[in-house]
Amino acid sequence: MNSTPTIEAKGTIWQKFVSLLNKIGFSPLGFVLLIILALLPNFYPFSQEYIVRWMIMGAFLAAQSVAFDFTAGYINIVNFGFAALLGVGAYTSGILANTTPFLLYAPGLNPWLTIWLGALMAALVGFLLGILTLRLRGIFAAVMAWFVGIALMGLVNNLTDLTRGPLGMNPVKFIETPNNLPYFYIILSMMIVIYITLKLVVGSNIGLAFKAIGQNPDAARASGINPTKYLVFNFTLSAFFAGLLGGFYAHFFGSLTPSTLMHTSKTVEVLAIAYIGGRGSLWGGITIAFPFVFFIEFLRSNLSSLPGLHLVIYGVLMIMIMIYYPSGFSGFYYWAVVKIKGLLNKTK
Amino acid sequence: MLELKNLDSGYDFLQVLWEVSFTVEQGEFVALIGPNGAGKSTTLRTIAGLIKPKGGDILFNGESIKAKAPHLISRMGISYVSEALNLFTDMSVKENLLLGAYAVKEKETQLKTLDYVFELFPRLQERKDQLAGTMSGGERKMLAIARGMMSNPTLMLVDEPSLGLQPNLTYAVFEALLKLRKQGVTILLVEQNVNATLDITDRAYILEQGKIVMSGPSHEMKANDHVRNAYLGI
Amino acid sequence: MAKETSTAPTTTVNFITWIKDNLPVVIVTIFSIILFIMIGFEGGPPQLLNVIVTGCMWALLATGLALVFGVMNIPHFAHGESFMVGAYIAYFTFTPLNKIFLATGSKFLIYLGPFLAIIAAGLAGSVLGIIIEKLVFAPLRHRTKEGWIMNAFLLTVGMSFVLTNGTTLAMGPNFRGIPRYFDVPSVEIMGAFIAVDRIVAAIISLVTIGLLWFFLRWTKLGRAIRAVSQDETGAQLVGINLDFIQTFTFSLATGMAAISGASLLFMFQAYPTVGLTPLYFAWYVVMLVGLGNVAGAIVGGFLVALLQSGTQLFIGLSWQSVVPTAIMVLVLMLAPSGIFGSEVKGVQEQ
Repeated sequence: MNSTPTIEAKGTIWQKFVSLLNKIGFSPLGFVLLIILALLPNFYPFSQEYIVRWMIMGAFLAAQSVAFDFTAGYINIVNFGFAALLGVGAYTSGILANTTPFLLYAPGLNPWLTIWLGALMAALVGFLLGILTLRLRGIFAAVMAWFVGIALMGLVNNLTDLTRGPLGMNPVKFIETPNNLPYFYIILSMMIVIYITLKLVVGSNIGLAFKAIGQNPDAARASGINPTKYLVFNFTLSAFFAGLLGGFYAHFFGSLTPSTLMHTSKTVEVLAIAYIGGRGSLWGGITIAFPFVFFIEFLRSNLSSLPGLHLVIYGVLMIMIMIYYPSGFSGFYYWAVVKIKGLLNKTK
Repeated sequence: MLELKNLDSGYDFLQVLWEVSFTVEQGEFVALIGPNGAGKSTTLRTIAGLIKPKGGDILFNGESIKAKAPHLISRMGISYVSEALNLFTDMSVKENLLLGAYAVKEKETQLKTLDYVFELFPRLQERKDQLAGTMSGGERKMLAIARGMMSNPTLMLVDEPSLGLQPNLTYAVFEALLKLRKQGVTILLVEQNVNATLDITDRAYILEQGKIVMSGPSHEMKANDHVRNAYLGI
Repeated sequence: MAKETSTAPTTTVNFITWIKDNLPVVIVTIFSIILFIMIGFEGGPPQLLNVIVTGCMWALLATGLALVFGVMNIPHFAHGESFMVGAYIAYFTFTPLNKIFLATGSKFLIYLGPFLAIIAAGLAGSVLGIIIEKLVFAPLRHRTKEGWIMNAFLLTVGMSFVLTNGTTLAMGPNFRGIPRYFDVPSVEIMGAFIAVDRIVAAIISLVTIGLLWFFLRWTKLGRAIRAVSQDETGAQLVGINLDFIQTFTFSLATGMAAISGASLLFMFQAYPTVGLTPLYFAWYVVMLVGLGNVAGAIVGGFLVALLQSGTQLFIGLSWQSVVPTAIMVLVLMLAPSGIFGSEVKGVQEQ
């Protein structure tokens, strides 16, 4: 009899912990998986450099899909110029870190600072893009973003004094190290910060407004929501994080060309991950990105005679999901949770 | 000719019709009457195949049509003149009418029907090159009915032909329906104008809240207390 | 039947109200004429001919795009891949055929080769269109029509991805091109020399568009296609089989894009992502004139060619991707449904 209160007390601590996790967008399972993911590269076989590199790619893609889904999954606008925003961040950061045209006494700013400047630059472009797409919906907004993205890529190609155009530039790296592990923790923390920030936004009243606008802008306006404000805010924030990730790309790979970073096909890759993961969940893309990158890199390294096979699989999977299971992996997860709970209740 | 058996129908999560059963015999002119939202249009749309029934069956000349696609139902001889008219607004009157005879293979039959329809609605002949979208409301109604006739249907489902029309045009539309009926076409008419409808039809069904509540010969219905109270405002 | 006095529509058009009602069209027409004259002064006849030939090219591509959108409400992002497939088919038909025909030495056969290749590409494109429609769009259409435009758009994005990478997989990233279809000297028109290939490509575009126009306007099937684009329910009610019309339309558009890819093989070599530029310009055209506006797409094709040439002459070639965006932004802000203001069912809601 005496033990009951302690169990209850434990229960409440556990419950408090769970509700705290829920607030920042994690289920207990998700939290455990994240910790495992964070520790994984310290253990063989995952500690091998090439696998750590895969995990970096996975986290990079996952973080992109979160920022992408923030727009696509909530206000229902497919930002087809997403990769270009990434490029804006990457080039801004790379240029400032390399040359610093305004601060003559220094060889370049610290990349840790410039990635934020890059993010701000991307946010500015995102803000403008948000204003441009304000009155547009659905396909019009998507095509507008696509055209803006192509124009941005064209600009980067043409401003050869700054970017060296199609030749590409080589930004300094964050840290000169042969080891990939530090970079993994950089991108992983970026991913977590982006996820938690966006999840907090989406969980607040702002998120409700996003959903309302996404479903029916006119009805949202009628019920007192100002679509302008929310739309532009959404684009700006999404672009800010895209720019930040672009900065990471620049200072991780140490080489930038417009076509490897800003091309429409790069947006499509992110889009595929976000949709397979499940629209409007933010976390769906993260769960899909890692296994996907592993699978794809595995294919690429073992079937190097078949270039593009991994991308074909990408596309086919995306098509299948769109036709037959549009709620994606997150939809499947929620469905499974309900089913399992139902079964448990029955056995009780 | 047409038989509905315990038909359940409606939209995704909203059932509108509950076990609706009625029959329309060959050559009859039958009215389906009821208040707004009772499910009259849903009934016609379900028969035409635009909505798939949730239960029950629809028999046309003894054959079940409930799983058939709308274009096949149309080709079987059921012509549905919808409330929204569904005209091809950027095409001329003549093109609309020719499309009405889309399923008719022989060019000669097509032209013969076209002549007949023009005879019935001389107004349409005058305007045969005008775009359907630029015509007045009454003319559009006539065009929709005329287009429905172009496939030489054996059964016509006509949805609210008098809606939004001036009385004299309503009269013209009803007259056209009576002419059709004389040609041997079976008609199932949904109408708000109950008084006039009961004057021209043979029999009537009353649909309330998705259920058939009453039926009988039109002249008897006109004398019925419930009908007089609810629909004729007497 | 109640007799009413018939009032014939007055034929006198008030010119000023007409201009007011069609202000964007009037402005665009005047602007185009000025631009055309300016290009004429600056670049001379060669540049003007170039505008016309390029215009034919974009018009043919954009017509297919507009058709697919108008009839099926699909914003087709993989239209460029149909172009790409056409280029490949033409390459693999033309190269061996040409070898055989050259060996025979018959002038007739040698000149026939290119046309056979282009026809083969058109046929192959149509078949591809049928397969894609049946495999991708029909299942989605039967599952749900909710959010159709965006879903269909994303599907075509996936298709484009699969087709380009599938081609890389099958063919490798190599460029496959031909120097020219017709081994004859250039023709002189108004003092400008122009390759016969370009003239033939322009004529093929015009003929294809003309045939399409005739087909849509005067045949029963064409009329049914227009009916579906105007009112799907109405079309079903008169007994038109939607599935058939949609598959047919998609096949038609794919075939047309393939023809255009094939007839331009001398200019755009066949490689997996060759379709992206044509796609971009075709989209530019349809966004400019209004999605789903088939007649507008033809005019728009020439308009875009004019703008392209103007950009090249007066602003500089390197800005060629920036100027269209600026113009698009303007058009979408001022007249979101395009300068010819086509209203396509269901677009505004989604």
